[in-house]
Amino acid sequence: MLKMVIKIGSRLALLGIILVVMNWIYTRFFFEKDLETFAPDLRKVRVVPQNTNILYIGESSNYTYREDDLDKRSISDLMNDYFPNLHVSDVTKPASHSGIYKVLLAQLPTDSQISTVIVTLNLRSFNAQWIYSDLETQLQKTTVLLRPFPPLVNRFMLSFKGYDIKSDDERIQQFIKKWERDEFHFPYRFPFKNVKEWDNWMAVNGIKDENGVIDFDRTALACHYIKAYGFQIDTLENPRIKDFNDIINLAKKRSWHLVFNLMAENTEKARELVGDDLLFLMEQNRDLLNSYFSRRGVVIVDNLEAVADQEFIDRNWTTEHYAEHGRKIIAANLAKAILQYYPNEYSAVGISYDYETYFFNDCDNGETWGPDQSISSDRAFSGKYSSKTGNGLKYSSALVYPIRRIPDSLKREVRIHAMIYQESAIHDDVRMVIQAEGESVDDFWRGFEINIPEEESRKWIPYEIIFTLPKEIYNANEIKIYLYNPSLTTIYLDDMEVEFLE
Amino acid sequence: MLFNTIEFVFFLPVVVILYYLLPVKFRWIMLLAASYIFYMAWKVEYIFLIAFSTMIDYFSGIMMEKQTEKKSRRPYLILSLLTNLGLLFSFKYFNFTSSNLNSLIHFMGLNKDIPLMNFLLPVGISFYTFQTLSYSIDVYYGRQKAEKHLGYFALYVAFFPQLVAGPIERFSRLTPQLKMRHDFTYENLANGLRLILYGLFIKMVIADNLSAVVDKIYADPSQYSSIDIIKGVGLYSFQIYSDFYGYSIIAIGSALIMGIHIMDNFRTPYLAKNISEFWQRWHISLSTWFRDYLYYPLGGNRVVRQRWMINILIVFVVSGIWHGANWNFLIWGALYGIIYLIEKLINDSFKLEKKHKPYSFGHLALAAKTFIFVTIIWVFFRSQSFTEAIAVFKFILTNGNTATETLNLPISTLIFLAIFIISDVILYNYRFDKWSGNLPFVIRWSVYSVLIFAIIVFAGVDNFPFIYFQF
Repeated sequence: MLKMVIKIGSRLALLGIILVVMNWIYTRFFFEKDLETFAPDLRKVRVVPQNTNILYIGESSNYTYREDDLDKRSISDLMNDYFPNLHVSDVTKPASHSGIYKVLLAQLPTDSQISTVIVTLNLRSFNAQWIYSDLETQLQKTTVLLRPFPPLVNRFMLSFKGYDIKSDDERIQQFIKKWERDEFHFPYRFPFKNVKEWDNWMAVNGIKDENGVIDFDRTALACHYIKAYGFQIDTLENPRIKDFNDIINLAKKRSWHLVFNLMAENTEKARELVGDDLLFLMEQNRDLLNSYFSRRGVVIVDNLEAVADQEFIDRNWTTEHYAEHGRKIIAANLAKAILQYYPNEYSAVGISYDYETYFFNDCDNGETWGPDQSISSDRAFSGKYSSKTGNGLKYSSALVYPIRRIPDSLKREVRIHAMIYQESAIHDDVRMVIQAEGESVDDFWRGFEINIPEEESRKWIPYEIIFTLPKEIYNANEIKIYLYNPSLTTIYLDDMEVEFLE
Repeated sequence: MLFNTIEFVFFLPVVVILYYLLPVKFRWIMLLAASYIFYMAWKVEYIFLIAFSTMIDYFSGIMMEKQTEKKSRRPYLILSLLTNLGLLFSFKYFNFTSSNLNSLIHFMGLNKDIPLMNFLLPVGISFYTFQTLSYSIDVYYGRQKAEKHLGYFALYVAFFPQLVAGPIERFSRLTPQLKMRHDFTYENLANGLRLILYGLFIKMVIADNLSAVVDKIYADPSQYSSIDIIKGVGLYSFQIYSDFYGYSIIAIGSALIMGIHIMDNFRTPYLAKNISEFWQRWHISLSTWFRDYLYYPLGGNRVVRQRWMINILIVFVVSGIWHGANWNFLIWGALYGIIYLIEKLINDSFKLEKKHKPYSFGHLALAAKTFIFVTIIWVFFRSQSFTEAIAVFKFILTNGNTATETLNLPISTLIFLAIFIISDVILYNYRFDKWSGNLPFVIRWSVYSVLIFAIIVFAGVDNFPFIYFQF
């Protein structure tokens, strides 16, 4: 027996030595390449400049992909405007959450100059569908090699699936069970016991249009909102709470000022589609997170209702992707929150609205709507130039504008006013045209006749129309407004005004 | 629970330690509990299927033994067959049958549909069903005494190393070992660990890395050049072999540590000289099951030649269907049957396969021929449908050099694949545990070191379940 124990013991000791040598070989020759392959996000941490003072870590909400944003900078970049002498950097990992942020933050070098860390606190990341998302396996996999163990041990865990690995089907079952299990606790009578019942009710009854017909798109979106926000955070059970607490502990160790950026959600849409009950839950969760983390010394920047519906890029889904103005509001709120840490570095920057509703073109130098061949000095109502069409010049000077940047409520109608000079009777084909086009809308073209009697020829005559814009073109990339003149009659256009109206 | 997971890395030592610490009479309780936990780690609810099947077969066995007349035993055999095959049909073949009947109904112009069932196929159902069936049939024919101890019988059905993907053990072989006292021996521990180590190596380093490449080819063969598709098809032969062989020897090694010998399931099948020999070396526990419980009852070769040929075809077609409820599996099985018969007829006529010494030119040439046949037939096995399989062949013939994707086999995988092929040739007459156990100490530990390092550092990291789990 003793002999066998010695034999096994000696083999185990030998194995131990071999593993130590292997760990050295692996670390020396293979680890870096594995990090590149299996923990690609580490690179994002490694490229954070050494002189960074403020680090912003979050998911894709930091960025924009909206074409018509004039200022396409991320929230973290916009913050630099408020602290021009400080360096704000970001670590952005799409579709991520606090469980990943904490691993990435732990990789920051201890000698970095970072003094403030802003972490996105995404309300949706606390919901069951996100906690048990099918992306989770891949996300968890990227963190295995970054665990605080010898590299060979981490690689062993990666090879032997030592992380939260589940099939898509298993994860779906998990969140479906949670939707059934977690019961709502409203301070008033609420007809549904859980998300499943609420969702089912919405799916069956639907949202009806003005004719009483179920609008399936809006109903599907409403169901999605219920599933995304219909929950009440349990601070003892919700894994995100633990992750954020780990971040708090890490911040304490590293002496960082910690700021949680409670992300804006489309509360307008939530109210419109589902109603106040869903808002109640969202606000209740917001208040809970606010008080829970504030008590732990974290600065919470409450952006939950800071961004209006039209400033969300994905208005037919629940995401935290904001258009330019939305990002600017969030950056401003964050800057105000950390002003206390950098009072001498703060520079007040007003938020500029990135849209206009009134446009004027007198065709004179510097006032035209971009270079065009129609500008003529033959005659003008004001100044020296006007826009000349006819005889082959079919298109007048045109207003081309990204209409979707204008809030919906401010573009119900459009007023077009211009001074028109016709050489002779206007041909029937001449039109004042409103045209809209874009990836998400069907092409739109509408021409309005210009009825100026022949006897009014050779005079400057005011022309005006007011047109109710169809909702279908609200999200068009561009609206174009111009005079179309395929005839041989020369027509001049001057002092053209375009105004979008509430 | 999968063998190549961290859970099993902790599970097995705990089970082995408890096994040897417990008195012999209590070991079955621990092993049964461990086996059920092992299965429930995948899906808790489906353990009731195993328990139900166990109860029915246990009861049937006892009742059959009580009957003196074969005729009066028959109802209990039918009960066992209906239960086991009924479960198998419900979970595995119902949707296949329904969708084919629906096609037929639509073809006849009727507007009716047989509803499909939305159940997850219970892992290993084909394996444990066949294992219990063999028991019931043996008791029926009086070849096996009925087991009176429900616990041991349940353990026979559910013994965790071979529960979900075999080898399909016979009652007469496994149960006496489960009842027997096994003292801890260094030899069993070492041999068991050697097999587990080698099994993990060929599963995690060979099969999983090949899977990453092969899956891409099969996902869309139209994107690859003919030569790359051929390479992908060839690599699948090694992927499925290393995947299933890996599982089998980990199972054998796990049981061996506890002193329990499970039958070998593979003996270098790609060195087989013909299809007949291939099936004597590939998935041996299934081949012998079909031989004993289907081929022999059909009359085997003690019938007229035409009937024998039909028997062969039946066995291979049923074997194909056993693997999966799809037409491509049926065709896969049928092709084996056809090639088997053609080879047999040619060999009987021309005596081409005279005895060749191992590794002789004749042997290797015949093995190459068999490998090519098997590789081509695997296309039907790997494809999701018959149409997809045909598409693979079509793209091999038509793509030529046209490609938008290229097959990228990492050099490390290529090296390890070469090592695996060489070791498989070396292991023609050995098993890895015996072979490596006889090596000098330094070389032996060098081999272990290479395998351990390869498993940790070069294992495929995506989640590749064992292929045979789906059966």
